[in-house]
Amino acid sequence: MRRIVFASIATLVAVTLAWGAAQSGVLRYNSYMMDPVPRELDAKIVALFMERYPDIRVEHSSVAHEDFKQAIRTYLVASPPPDVLTWFAGERMRFFTRTGLIANITNVWQGSDWEDVYPVGFQSMSQDAGAYYFVPQSYYWWAVYYRTDIYDEVGLEVPETWDAFLDNCRALDAAGYIPVAIGSRYGWPAAGWFDYLNMRVNGPEFHIRLLDGLESYESEEVRNTFAHWKQAMDAGCFIDNPASYDWQDAAEFMIQGEAAMYLMGQFILDVFPADARDSVDFFRFPIIDPDLPVGEDAPTDGYFVSANAANMENAKLFIEFLGSREVNEMWAREAGRLVPRTDLDPNIYPPATRKGLEEILRRADYVAQFYDRDTPEELAGRGMDAFVEFMANPGALDRILADLQREAERVFAARQ
Amino acid sequence: MRHRPLAPLSFLLLPLGLYAVWVIYPTLATMALAFTDWDGISPRQAWVGLANFERLFNDRVFWLSLGNNLRWVLVFITIPTSLGLALALALNRNVRFDRFLKIAYYLPMVLAFVVIALMWAWIYHPRQGLINSTLFHLYGLAQSLGFDVNPAAARRIGWLGDPNLAMGSIIAAATWQHVGYVMILYLAGLKTVNTELLDAGQVDGASPWQLFRYVTFPQLAPVTTIVLVITVIQSLRAFDLVYVMTRGGPFNSSNVLANFMYIEAFLNYNMGYAAAIAVVLFLISIGFIAIYLYRVVQQEER
Repeated sequence: MRRIVFASIATLVAVTLAWGAAQSGVLRYNSYMMDPVPRELDAKIVALFMERYPDIRVEHSSVAHEDFKQAIRTYLVASPPPDVLTWFAGERMRFFTRTGLIANITNVWQGSDWEDVYPVGFQSMSQDAGAYYFVPQSYYWWAVYYRTDIYDEVGLEVPETWDAFLDNCRALDAAGYIPVAIGSRYGWPAAGWFDYLNMRVNGPEFHIRLLDGLESYESEEVRNTFAHWKQAMDAGCFIDNPASYDWQDAAEFMIQGEAAMYLMGQFILDVFPADARDSVDFFRFPIIDPDLPVGEDAPTDGYFVSANAANMENAKLFIEFLGSREVNEMWAREAGRLVPRTDLDPNIYPPATRKGLEEILRRADYVAQFYDRDTPEELAGRGMDAFVEFMANPGALDRILADLQREAERVFAARQ
Repeated sequence: MRHRPLAPLSFLLLPLGLYAVWVIYPTLATMALAFTDWDGISPRQAWVGLANFERLFNDRVFWLSLGNNLRWVLVFITIPTSLGLALALALNRNVRFDRFLKIAYYLPMVLAFVVIALMWAWIYHPRQGLINSTLFHLYGLAQSLGFDVNPAAARRIGWLGDPNLAMGSIIAAATWQHVGYVMILYLAGLKTVNTELLDAGQVDGASPWQLFRYVTFPQLAPVTTIVLVITVIQSLRAFDLVYVMTRGGPFNSSNVLANFMYIEAFLNYNMGYAAAIAVVLFLISIGFIAIYLYRVVQQEER
């Protein structure tokens, strides 16, 4: 009897020790949240996690967004790599699952309520070949942001159709305003225009097929997209020399009241001073072909665990915490971010976020990530160069598209 | 003396070892990489033969970048070198404040490339930049005098955003820095010019131009070689200014080989392809470096 008691105590001690081991030690977390609001919240979430698991010491480092994107490869092949990292859903994540650098976290997904509360779209963007590798944290919408005071002064209505949009451009141009600001120094703001025009002209399905290499950049459909882009240029929509500015520089024109509109993500409001935010609103990118389903860009950010994480158990605990309702609610309430979980009361969002959800995303038939997240990264770089070049030199379209298509064929052939 | 002592050799071992590990090995490894399709992450890398080079020679961006490097070389071996020489000649004549002026002209050389790039990016900024603001006021003045110009147009000049201007604007910033360097090299060279020859020329009634052309300049020949070679190497390795000011944009109109290589290696994860670019750049540079080394060795032996 005594032996049995002794054995049970020993077992209990061993189990406790093992359990304790799983919950102690270090966790290395690298994030790219450096803008004031998300950075503060990120730190708060880490602090809350350490409060919950006092034996785990989180080594948290934040790196500037652009630097993080370039350095992540070196982080992941370091030994040991960081345990948990922030990253982008979709193609950008799959690049690393293909190279075997992201841990399979299917058991975390199935051990929690995630499959019930994350919409199917978010589940599939977290997967590769049927297994889960990612947990989405938040997403944002793109829209045409505009100055309500300029619109009122010139007497304009929010355009629902392409023709109305072009008319607004002409009226604003005639009134001495820059109708549309765009700062394409780093390419991607021009890719926003391509995404929207291509989705509105050819439909989101064609768009995704093109970005997956199943359609040609030299097709009639894509030429038609560029023809619409040219119409906007001919209507005097765009600022001169867009490539001279980065996106914040160009937003300055809108803040100063010189430019009326800007096709941009939700984060544009972060660069507006508080008093200027009241005169800024947004509308859905105008419909061009009403018979097509409506696509929107809504890039999703989230987290993954390194495949070679030194502290795998802690990493899984942390990522489970990051996907919890509690953390989702903090992002929604405190940072105004749209969060993927559906078990939250939408009233916790600030009004602008609610409007984005209701008027942009709930009305969308299809949600894409963004050009440089949906198509292979190296092709995206060439594509964005091509869009910027087209805006500067529309006459060279044939050559631009031929070059881009050749590059696309090479990139997709290399993947086979 | 056929028997050489071992001591010098043993002293050389450590630096040679370090050199082999840090310079020779990486160079050879890069050359080997150029024949693979390595993506920088996966352990897998396949031998692809000359495929990277074939792709490179068919890549428009490569030719654009190479062309820009050559434009850079052409501008650099003419403008900053002659300006630097002119400054050196002027400041070598004991003008007033010559010490202050020498320091002032040399000062840009002290600044890091990144600092120069940031500073010039502000100068070139279309809205708030020094150049366009100055032009804006000049245009305004011209307009008030009755000329038909629109001051607002001055703010639309995209020095770094216009594909026709971007490369030239970057090279201009680089020139601003390089002049001081050339000046210092020539100032040092002028100290070695034999004054007796100059005096003799003057006695024979040579004009100042003749003195320079037939007496001073030939004596500066070793310096000129060094200046030219350094200038060419500077132009070929250009990266910092381009990366900070335009990242090669808009649409590669200001790209150079080093920046193109960086983009392929660290943004597109094409290590093999980037290595091929590096090899081409290396082959172009090696010719000039060989001339430089030959000259240096020759001078030391003299």
